[in-house]
Amino acid sequence: MAVKEVSFELGNAGITGLVGPNGSGKTTLFHLITGFYQLDRGSVYFRDQLISGLAPHRISQMGLVRTFQQTRVLPFMSVLETLMSASPNQVGERLSSIFLRPRAVSQAEKENMERAKEILEFLRLTTLADQLASRLSFGQQKLLELGRVLMSRPQMILLDEPTAGINPTLIRQLVELLITLSDQGIRIFLVEHNMPLVAEVCQEILVMDSGSLIFTGAPSEARQNARVIEAYLGSTDHAA
Amino acid sequence: MDYLIHILIVALIYAIFAISLNLELGYTGLYNFGHVAFFGIGAYSSALLSLGGLPVSLTMVIGMVFAGIAGGLLAIPALRLSGDYFGIATLAFGEMVRLFFLNERWLTKGPMGLPGIPRPSWIGQGIAGLPMFLLLCALLTLIVFLMVRRLTTAPFGRALKVVREDEYVAQALGKNVLSLKIRAVTVGSVLAGLAGALWAHYITYISPSDFTLNETILVLLCVVLGGRGTNWGPILGAVVIIFFQESLRFLPIPPDLGRFVAPLQGIVYGGTLVFLMLKRPEGLLPEYKA
Amino acid sequence: MTYYLQLLLNGVIAGSIYALFAVGLTMVYGVFRFINFAHGELIAWGAYLVLLFMHTPIFLPIYYAVLPALAGTIVISLAQDRYVYRPLRQGSRISLLIASIGLSYLLRNGIRLIWGSDLMTYGLKPARGIYFAGLSITLTQISMMAAAVFFLGSLYFLLTRSLLGKSLRAVADNIQLASIMGINMKKVSLAVWVLASVFAGVGGILLALDTNLEPMMGLTNLIKAFAAVLLGGAGNVWGALLGGLCIGIAENMGVAFFSPGYKDFISFALIILLLLFRPGGIFGILVGVR
Repeated sequence: MAVKEVSFELGNAGITGLVGPNGSGKTTLFHLITGFYQLDRGSVYFRDQLISGLAPHRISQMGLVRTFQQTRVLPFMSVLETLMSASPNQVGERLSSIFLRPRAVSQAEKENMERAKEILEFLRLTTLADQLASRLSFGQQKLLELGRVLMSRPQMILLDEPTAGINPTLIRQLVELLITLSDQGIRIFLVEHNMPLVAEVCQEILVMDSGSLIFTGAPSEARQNARVIEAYLGSTDHAA
Repeated sequence: MDYLIHILIVALIYAIFAISLNLELGYTGLYNFGHVAFFGIGAYSSALLSLGGLPVSLTMVIGMVFAGIAGGLLAIPALRLSGDYFGIATLAFGEMVRLFFLNERWLTKGPMGLPGIPRPSWIGQGIAGLPMFLLLCALLTLIVFLMVRRLTTAPFGRALKVVREDEYVAQALGKNVLSLKIRAVTVGSVLAGLAGALWAHYITYISPSDFTLNETILVLLCVVLGGRGTNWGPILGAVVIIFFQESLRFLPIPPDLGRFVAPLQGIVYGGTLVFLMLKRPEGLLPEYKA
Repeated sequence: MTYYLQLLLNGVIAGSIYALFAVGLTMVYGVFRFINFAHGELIAWGAYLVLLFMHTPIFLPIYYAVLPALAGTIVISLAQDRYVYRPLRQGSRISLLIASIGLSYLLRNGIRLIWGSDLMTYGLKPARGIYFAGLSITLTQISMMAAAVFFLGSLYFLLTRSLLGKSLRAVADNIQLASIMGINMKKVSLAVWVLASVFAGVGGILLALDTNLEPMMGLTNLIKAFAAVLLGGAGNVWGALLGGLCIGIAENMGVAFFSPGYKDFISFALIILLLLFRPGGIFGILVGVR
């Protein structure tokens, strides 16, 4: 699905939603921003730095971290290991350090584990620390993915359908977590289909349709906007 | 007694070889089907240099370095390929290296091979030197095992596993996937070169037919049977396979049936690979309990 | 000048056989989305089974031996699918890949077990060369090209005019959509394996008629078939055809420029180069028909 004329700027604070009918290009946009797809034209800036053209891992290291639409938790790692594997720039990942600076490596691992435990507490998953990720419920896996993203102390997180397929109680918990994170200064940009949630949580939303950005503004305004309505109704027409 | 020492030496050499492939295949998920090329480069480099007069301990190190450089050079372009294609590219590379050994007679004496490769000076020639050579192999295998275990239990190993399971996630988590893969292949190639050099100085005669697809399948079997992605797996696999293979040599087989042994072995090996994939892909020592 | 023309002619002759191999391999890839490493052994077994039926105790003259040999090759490929590939298709890719390598090793050693490792021939009188325009070609070679044209031509009509052919193309294009649309997947799978094994077997027999039989012929030709598949774009039948011709020509003309020992090298090098620079194939963009 091509993404055509899309141009926007996200401010420094808050939670922004990205909505639109299926196939409108939301996930593609995420791929383009985070370097998984290459842009044909145009550019992407993050905190005044040009990031388009950079490899995805570099963009992630700069503080812009994302999740994927399908859960991509590694089944055989324990919850704790999953979080610990997510720290960026670990000393212990460098070959030379492993042999020449063993104490620095074990120190870093200790700090890593502390941070992972902090995040587990934040997510209320502490009791599951040693469980294999495959044994977690779907909703718990989604929380784990959020935790993974948080390990890198991101400045901004892109969440692709974070509440898809999870039960209302867990959705509540997730919403509270997101609001807390936002208050702590993490910029959040999320793709969602759950409209009430978007209206509740997002100060601003972007609406896409067929690869183009058709609306930017408050969720309440979006509901009155003719083009937005047409986009959603139009797509229902196609389905019928 | 002597044949037991022989089997142990070959098993230890293959243990190092299998550990090196396991790092690439088991931990990083790279299907390097041309791994025997680095075994061969280590063997030929060390053999040629020592035949040229350099001390064996030095030539073995040089052999490892050459193997590592070759690995790095292959890795940089080849690692851009996805799984299956990397497998075939490395397979093709392995064959190209063998063809090189075969055709560049001015260097390698081609199909005639290189006889008379010296043992390390502190180890005697011939049968007398076997126990000392066994000691050398055991020491080196221990060092390699400990070193690789250190790597795999460190965050480096964890990152490799993430790359193996899901490259997209690895990238999204800020891991430089290409760099990790290149490092894994380079270390694997260096260790394969060590195994090859040990082989050359043990058997004292090498030829291009020692470095074919058959050897790749053998070491692949060691890794897959023993347990991919574990530290003891490749050692266990090497011990089982080599004990099986070498003890067949000493079975009293009537001479006119002798020509059936190799193909039957091949059938057993191929069949074991298929059987393992169908029934127990994790091998003897599973990496984790499902 | 005639020298080069002769090489070109030799190249086209060889290439027409490689085209048969490549088309079969690419069709399997197109439908099942994996490279069957054991495809080469279908080539070899096709050729060797003719030997089986020609000698004790059946003693068929060669042209009658071809039919049961092809039937046997079909049985082998169907068994491959039924017992090894189908159970593994849902699982991990590496298992499928390793299993197909193991299977090919098993089948190759089966040939060595039964027929030994030496070169063999069908024992026919050497073909006379027919001379025209300063070029020489044998009757065997003419029939090779004729057979290739016949089979590939029939395939064309099958793919474009028959319901089965259209189903095949639909499945190769988008397997989920095809099965939703009600295409009989079982029939398509069966058809692909039959076609692939018949093409492989026929090609193997023709090759053996023109040259000889040896146990490695499966692997050697697999590499060439694979290079051709890559050239044409994996899954692209007509690309594979053109790719096969190109490989044949490149190999034979290459002999004019470097040592014949490196003849196989060309395919390997081509594979690596293509994978690195144009994994979509050269003809992937030119030829639209799949």
